[in-house]
Amino acid sequence: MANQTPPAVILAAGEGRRLEPLTNRRPKPMLPVANRPLLEYVVEAVENAGLDRIIFVVGYYEERIRNHFGDGDSWDVDIEYVTQEKQLGTAHALLQAAPLINEPFVLLNGDRIVESKLVSDVQETLETTGGPVVSVTHAENPRHYGVVELDGSATRIQSITEKPTGPIQSNLINAGVYGFDQSIFEEITQTTTDSGELAITTTLTNLLADQDVHVVQYRGQWLDVSYLWDLLTVNAALAGQRSGERSPESDKVSIAADTAIGSDVEIGPHASIGGGTAIGANATVEANAVIINSIIFPDTVIEAGAVVRDAVISENARVGANVTIAGGDTQMVVDGTVYKDIALGGVVGDNATLGGAVTIAPGTVVGDGASIDDGGIISGHIESDAIVRRG
Amino acid sequence: MCGIVGYLGEDPAGPIVYKGLQNLEYRGYDSAGVALVGEELTVQKRSGEVGALSVPEIPSAVCGIGHTRWSTHGPPTDENAHPHTGLTGEVAVVHNGIIENYESLRESLSDRTFTSQTDTEVIPHLLEIELENGHDLYTALNRVVSQLEGSFAICAVHAGRNEIVATRNQSPLVLGHAKDGVFLGSDVTAFLEHTRDVTYLEDGDIAVLRPGDVHVYRDGTEIAYPIETVEWEADAAEKGGYEHFMRKEIHEQPASLRQTLSGRIDLDRGAVELDLEFPKGYLSSVEEIQFVACGTSYYASLYAARLFEEIADIRATVSIASEYTFDGGRDPWRTLTIAVTQSGETADTLGAIRRAKRAGAQTLAVTNMLGSSVSREVKNSVFIRAGPEIGVAATKTFASQVTTLALLAVYLGRERGVLSPSDARSILEDLRGLPGGIQQVLDKEASVKEAAVAYQDSDAFFFVGRRHGYPVALEGALKLKEISYDHAEGFAAGELKHGPLALVTDNTPVLAVLTDGGNIPNTVNNLVEAQTRGAPAIGAISESHEIDSLDVGFEVPDAGLFEPLIANVYFQLFAYHVANEKGRPIDKPRNLAKSVTVG
Repeated sequence: MANQTPPAVILAAGEGRRLEPLTNRRPKPMLPVANRPLLEYVVEAVENAGLDRIIFVVGYYEERIRNHFGDGDSWDVDIEYVTQEKQLGTAHALLQAAPLINEPFVLLNGDRIVESKLVSDVQETLETTGGPVVSVTHAENPRHYGVVELDGSATRIQSITEKPTGPIQSNLINAGVYGFDQSIFEEITQTTTDSGELAITTTLTNLLADQDVHVVQYRGQWLDVSYLWDLLTVNAALAGQRSGERSPESDKVSIAADTAIGSDVEIGPHASIGGGTAIGANATVEANAVIINSIIFPDTVIEAGAVVRDAVISENARVGANVTIAGGDTQMVVDGTVYKDIALGGVVGDNATLGGAVTIAPGTVVGDGASIDDGGIISGHIESDAIVRRG
Repeated sequence: MCGIVGYLGEDPAGPIVYKGLQNLEYRGYDSAGVALVGEELTVQKRSGEVGALSVPEIPSAVCGIGHTRWSTHGPPTDENAHPHTGLTGEVAVVHNGIIENYESLRESLSDRTFTSQTDTEVIPHLLEIELENGHDLYTALNRVVSQLEGSFAICAVHAGRNEIVATRNQSPLVLGHAKDGVFLGSDVTAFLEHTRDVTYLEDGDIAVLRPGDVHVYRDGTEIAYPIETVEWEADAAEKGGYEHFMRKEIHEQPASLRQTLSGRIDLDRGAVELDLEFPKGYLSSVEEIQFVACGTSYYASLYAARLFEEIADIRATVSIASEYTFDGGRDPWRTLTIAVTQSGETADTLGAIRRAKRAGAQTLAVTNMLGSSVSREVKNSVFIRAGPEIGVAATKTFASQVTTLALLAVYLGRERGVLSPSDARSILEDLRGLPGGIQQVLDKEASVKEAAVAYQDSDAFFFVGRRHGYPVALEGALKLKEISYDHAEGFAAGELKHGPLALVTDNTPVLAVLTDGGNIPNTVNNLVEAQTRGAPAIGAISESHEIDSLDVGFEVPDAGLFEPLIANVYFQLFAYHVANEKGRPIDKPRNLAKSVTVG
């Protein structure tokens, strides 16, 4: 058929280990911001760009993705699934989709929120040049990403360096949306690796030696969740854009404008929901609780009088009466790197229980299934399923 | 119990009818067929799944009917498959249900040759005779129906004219109104991708479909038929990347339970909001609740009956619908009979609720299907809102049934003034905790699969539990036997020593519900008795307990009265993985169909 749009391959098999404990039971693309998984924003960008066939590469806790998206009808797209059994890098993930593809296609990451313009720009460039196409955007902290150098004409890529440690020449980074034709699969199978993981960028670097790699420059919304605290920033940015969700109809409750409240959330009298907050479906917020700039996952219970600020409370957790998560700046160490001035009041994993009047110091991470006795004062990292007793 | 599809419109009918049959395949599947209308009828039918049927390509045929069959009279053969024709081949008929007087009708047609062993075949013969007498198809059907006894939904076509006539009696039939044509279906899933605008026919209605118009006649006069909009999305009935509907539906339980609960709980007041209309003072004066149900719905009712006794302080009895004889109880005016049926079309349950109504009892339906026969039979219905369930083995609808019935128990307890707001609130909070609790179980699927692989080759499986754990033991055994074909039985844990223990060997695992409130120590003792005989013990245990003696233990999160309902999810996953390891056709187990519309 003529005039058909290319399929979009979305990589959603990743675990997202840096986001533990939130990713202990769900893949990173299923982390909710403003009550919708990251992946849903990606699907919408693809659909708005006019692409209607999507192939998800799934793996880690793939049921969560299949349950949410089904065959894609609710988003007016057709979704097919391929499974990456072992996490062996992005290029290996893409290779799993090869049997379903016999035309040029667009490739996206399932955990980066981009606008549909980026998708259609990549698609256009793919059609005019035949690919490969790499998109770039500006970043304040390019060292966290793949830093890209362009050639003189700024239409082709000169180099890509993953998370460079030496001096860098550019603050352009790989935006993670690509356009390829099927020849990429052959290139991937010829890419060698000594880390055990095959990355797309390694294959691209090999390509640069004997092929033009075209570039699409992008300046729109580009939201990445690398660390736990990023989730709050992205949530706050998107909570305000979401409106029209049902709000509890009590006049005894105060709810800021830039919040997202899911269906069947129970909010008790005199509770206060401050800006930048999302509360998932079927959650309960009891009387006098105060929630500010936080993400409350579905099925969670925030008991009476609790204060929850700059925090992420994961699915089905219980925050006891008068718990204090005061919020404020802290510093955190991730993979040996110290991050300062982090606004993170705390993270409570799935099914964890905080007893009454527990106090959570900024930056505390409570593992999934952990249980903290009444009155405990908690800081640092609490292991999954740990039981913390007083005394 | 079978599936019916009909189409008359602007597009070729063959592919549309064929797709409709595929959509309905879960209702019955041992044979299938279609009839397409032209100057002559083209009938194609055979035994086997719908996929085995090749539908002739006739682009000019814009009118057709189709059928998937699940055998009741006569084995699944090509001859017994529908559509059926008469002597001349001028008329073709598809039929669901049972013609009870077919033998006497057949004798009266002794001069005609019959090619099948079905009860259905008398209908095309009778229609032919009426047509030969000069009647049109509508009048012919009208005259034939008056001779039929039993339950039926019938669609008929004849050669040379684009026309379908259809009627029903105690067997479901729905019209679907699309832009380029009209559909008939035994349920809406037959044509849901074409239209959501439907008309549910009543018993005795005759529908006549002709190009461009539809007429519905009741008692000989044409009526203005109502058009309702179905809320379900067709896509919800598709597999969404799962290998089996059953596994998809098991995983859907947190979401479907949120739907079940949605908007029905007022925690502030400790109240349940249900849209029920009973005579003033009736609920306070009721003295007995009778549940009538079959299969999984029966087990959900057993669970519920105890909840009603405990929460609403009322006498509650449960009858297998086909065994229901105590119409309306001792005092029908003070009896509420509740029909629990997923499909709302279960013949046995419909029969029971009709008898209760006739005896003077108030009636209520708890069902998953808006507009189903049962909801039109009773004045009050509560929908369980589980969404379409395609797997023949009921999973998410069991959870939604128990949850809906628990809401009803709280509602009744509050109405009768026997349940305090704070006790109600505590139960309702536990119900709101179910989606999260079940998700916790789903997250542990890998360990359940491990146990299923380890024990799949056992000789038999026994399930035991106490109190609310007892119906869950029965349901766990039903699930396993339905889809894995293994011998599985459920017992009250205390009954093990009164007989079944004789069956226990080192190759018969015992699966136990060990949840709070179900007398865990006693059930553990029963398990030890089995373990002494070498049986492996597998338990679903409340998280507050630790039992070292078990061979496999699964943790059940805290959920008050509903912990057994969460434990049941482990049993669902166990059954699924045992059956999957054995390569069984999980969504369509042999000899079973989704909604049993024959008695």
